[in-house]
Amino acid sequence: MNQITQEMRNLAKQLLEEEKVQLVMGWEKGSFWYNSTPVFVSKVEDVDKLIWDEFCAANLATYLLDDRFSDEKIALFVKGCDSRAVNRLVQDKQVKRENLYLIGIPCPGMKSAKAAKELGQETKEELPLEDKCIYCTHHNPLVYDILLGEEVALDDIAATAEVSRFEGVEEIEAMTPDERYAYWQDHYSRCIRCYACRNVCPACNCTECCFDLGQTWLERDVTPTGNQVYGIIRAFHVAGRCIECGECERVCPMDIPIMKLNRKIAKDIEELYGPYEAGLDTETPPPLGHYKTEDPDEFM
Amino acid sequence: MKGIKKSQLSNFLQQVSAKYSLYVPAQVDGVTRFQKYSSEREPFLTANTQLSPKELFFPQTEQLYCYETHKQEVKVEELAASSEPQVLFGVRPCDMQAIGVLDDVFLGKGYEDVYYRAKRANTLIIALACSQAEATCFCDSMGVDPAFAPQADLMMYETEDGYLIEALSDQGKDFLQEFSSALEELRSEKPQAPACELKAETDGLVEKLQKMFEHSVWAELSRKCINCGTCTYLCPTCHCFDIESKTRGGKEVKFRCWDSCMYKEYTLMAGGHNPRPTKKERVRQRFLHKLQYMPERYGKWGCVGCGRCIDKCPVNLDITKVIRELREVEA
Amino acid sequence: MNPLVPIIGKISKIVDETPDTKTFHVTTSNGKPFTPLPGQLAMVSLPAVGEAMFSISSQGDDHLEFSIKKVGMLTEALHDAEVGQEIGVRGPYGNGFPLDFCKGKDMLFIGGGIGLAPLRSLINYCVANREDFGNLQVIYGARSPADLCFKEELFETWPKVRDMRVDVTVDKGDENWQGNVGFVPAFLEQLNPSPEGKVTVTCGPPIMIKFVLQSLAKMNYQPDNIITTLEMRMKCGVGKCGRCNIGSCYICLDGPVFTLTQLNQLPNEY
Ligand code: SF4
Ligand code: SF4
Ligand code: SF4
Ligand code: SF4
Ligand code: SF4
Ligand code: FES
Repeated sequence: MNQITQEMRNLAKQLLEEEKVQLVMGWEKGSFWYNSTPVFVSKVEDVDKLIWDEFCAANLATYLLDDRFSDEKIALFVKGCDSRAVNRLVQDKQVKRENLYLIGIPCPGMKSAKAAKELGQETKEELPLEDKCIYCTHHNPLVYDILLGEEVALDDIAATAEVSRFEGVEEIEAMTPDERYAYWQDHYSRCIRCYACRNVCPACNCTECCFDLGQTWLERDVTPTGNQVYGIIRAFHVAGRCIECGECERVCPMDIPIMKLNRKIAKDIEELYGPYEAGLDTETPPPLGHYKTEDPDEFM
Repeated sequence: MKGIKKSQLSNFLQQVSAKYSLYVPAQVDGVTRFQKYSSEREPFLTANTQLSPKELFFPQTEQLYCYETHKQEVKVEELAASSEPQVLFGVRPCDMQAIGVLDDVFLGKGYEDVYYRAKRANTLIIALACSQAEATCFCDSMGVDPAFAPQADLMMYETEDGYLIEALSDQGKDFLQEFSSALEELRSEKPQAPACELKAETDGLVEKLQKMFEHSVWAELSRKCINCGTCTYLCPTCHCFDIESKTRGGKEVKFRCWDSCMYKEYTLMAGGHNPRPTKKERVRQRFLHKLQYMPERYGKWGCVGCGRCIDKCPVNLDITKVIRELREVEA
Repeated sequence: MNPLVPIIGKISKIVDETPDTKTFHVTTSNGKPFTPLPGQLAMVSLPAVGEAMFSISSQGDDHLEFSIKKVGMLTEALHDAEVGQEIGVRGPYGNGFPLDFCKGKDMLFIGGGIGLAPLRSLINYCVANREDFGNLQVIYGARSPADLCFKEELFETWPKVRDMRVDVTVDKGDENWQGNVGFVPAFLEQLNPSPEGKVTVTCGPPIMIKFVLQSLAKMNYQPDNIITTLEMRMKCGVGKCGRCNIGSCYICLDGPVFTLTQLNQLPNEY
């Protein structure tokens, strides 16, 4: 067992015993060696389920939305991306910071479960990172009450050191409108509209979602065009609030490159309104959520 | 036994596709599913498909009828539920069992679904025995023989030199007759059925679940579910649908589309009451439907052990693990 | 026959029951769209707006009646419709009331608000086949006098039927209200009809049903002789779409009518 796992369990035990929190959200080992999955511990005898390994990719902050207005005290393990999600939810007043006990864990980047499944256990040491971790710019948690382990230096993480936040976006920017249409059409034609991308997303925090209200925004018939409209509406709805955690793309059962779209929009926002990354703190107003006189207005 | 040499497979498929609408498992745009055969499309036969063959009988979206409204007038025009004769090649035993489940639902209990029947009645199914089980397969726990699909028209077995083929139904026999020139005598033997590593202990499960509706275990089991529809959309037996209108774009159409008991709108009534308001009730519904209600109503499991939901659930809410936990807790 | 495609009928008459409930008479060029049993359901649609399941509250020789409360988009559109509007109907669905079981017995109907609509199909059946049943009694309540449905039948038609009595209560009266004021369960206990030889059919808001059932138990009514109807969201009506599933039952096929004994065996999820 690794040191962090041990520390996680000790801390969880202490928090529950001292009744500082009623619930600890973390990860446990899943069905196979290559998956680790969310676990919810509310009893001291269950703390040994908690683990920390190279497959703890799931962003736990999303689950805060389940009881968003409750006053339960919750402890939550946060990697870099998870901590940004917490900031976003706090900033949007979905959860109260004082109800959370955040346990930060610096993250060296998670290993790709998909690759692991295909390549087999023998390759465990050489597995590629999850895509979301390749483009990650904040491996260290940005907000926490206590930190387990040592902060990691970005430069130490080979994949990230070489890859920029917007890597691959130029590819779609270079396409002609027709090519771009064909590109998205190809991908979205296999979307099954399961809404996993929406349901896992910490920026999709509306209590009533526009896709649930029946036919008013978008009919439920699954067509390549309808699916693209779905993708575009969702991308716009999270624009400027998307914390680039890549969960949507990771959970998509149809392997649709959703992050290409999200990162393209993030890039546009930087170009239009200046440097911005969502969820770095709870104060900076999101560029699309407020108005400045010097905002670009060439579309007016 | 008669069969097709591996080198002759595309030749055989070519011949079949000249006479019938032929569907084979294939990888297209990054996803494996049943696709119309074409000679450039190599069939994908090394494992089961990501999307189940249910979409051929019960497409994700299907038009039911057109209508026109003008002032107080309403006109309805039924859309013919017809289909050309089709052949499905390479259906796995678990999915064949699932098609049997869909048959019971769509064709039984007093009403026949005409859209489903039109396609189903026009389809000949060639099943393919599995020679190897994936890590997520557990069909042999759910009463399925991974090397035999009794409800198929024809059964195929992969061997070293080719595919042995035998007819199980009269239509299957006619089909073999029709394509006899493409077959030759193969010397190999039927391979042994693989054993699934993943297991689910199902003895006495229905009886136990009958006492567990109010059990606290559901709240725990459902905690990590994000209520996406992935498991139900990929499942070869899930058949819930919604009926909606398409009112934009000229022709007004009523269509049905897959729906999922995992969504909160599924049971939400006009007026706001929801009998399944939280994920606890929804997750419970999914598992009880498969593991108790379906056996009670149709005499078969609503799960055939194909493992698709285990493979793709974003939070690894594994049905075999759920079964294990349901067995372990006191009813 | 394709059970998912509606027949087109026409609204031939609209009766304002209460400020938010209207009764629609629906007829086709060959008379009524079909002949349902009391308690059966039908899908009613304005195709451009939507489709929903309603109980058939009564029928005549040439029409079906639907009594519909305004609760959502479709019902609002129906309330805006005028006589002559064409609408879709398909059905009949569900089991209906167990007529053979009821025949020869005294019938007690306990309704609240719009819950009288499904009961009304059976009440009118009993009235039309008067000699097949014993005494008839209706106990009905609504929030206020203005919220009482089917006023003509309640106060004119039914009280004149041989051996039939009607007792009405409101939660809150107004200056003209002379009748009882109070909730249905209390009113029921006050009237205290004997369970002897009776079949009781009750329908209304869930909270009313809950307390009516408690009162009936107190008064020694047996679950076998208590009948009620369930409501679930429905789409297909023919046991395929899965939506109305409770336990191993599909309400659109095996319901909506259940005895209390049957109901007690279903998971509590409605
Ligand atoms: S997760 Fe993928 S398949 Fe599901 S709705 Fe989102 S994009 Fe479509
Ligand atoms: S859109 Fe995707 S990357 Fe952005 S916050 Fe949501 S899940 Fe994360
Ligand atoms: S796929 Fe998993 S997370 Fe999604 S609804 Fe099914 S069980 Fe829940
Ligand atoms: S429940 Fe899962 S394993 Fe069972 S048939 Fe459906 S998808 Fe396959
Ligand atoms: S579940 Fe069984 S039948 Fe299905 S693919 Fe796996 S081994 Fe074959
Ligand atoms: S309404 Fe579709 S199954 Fe009952």
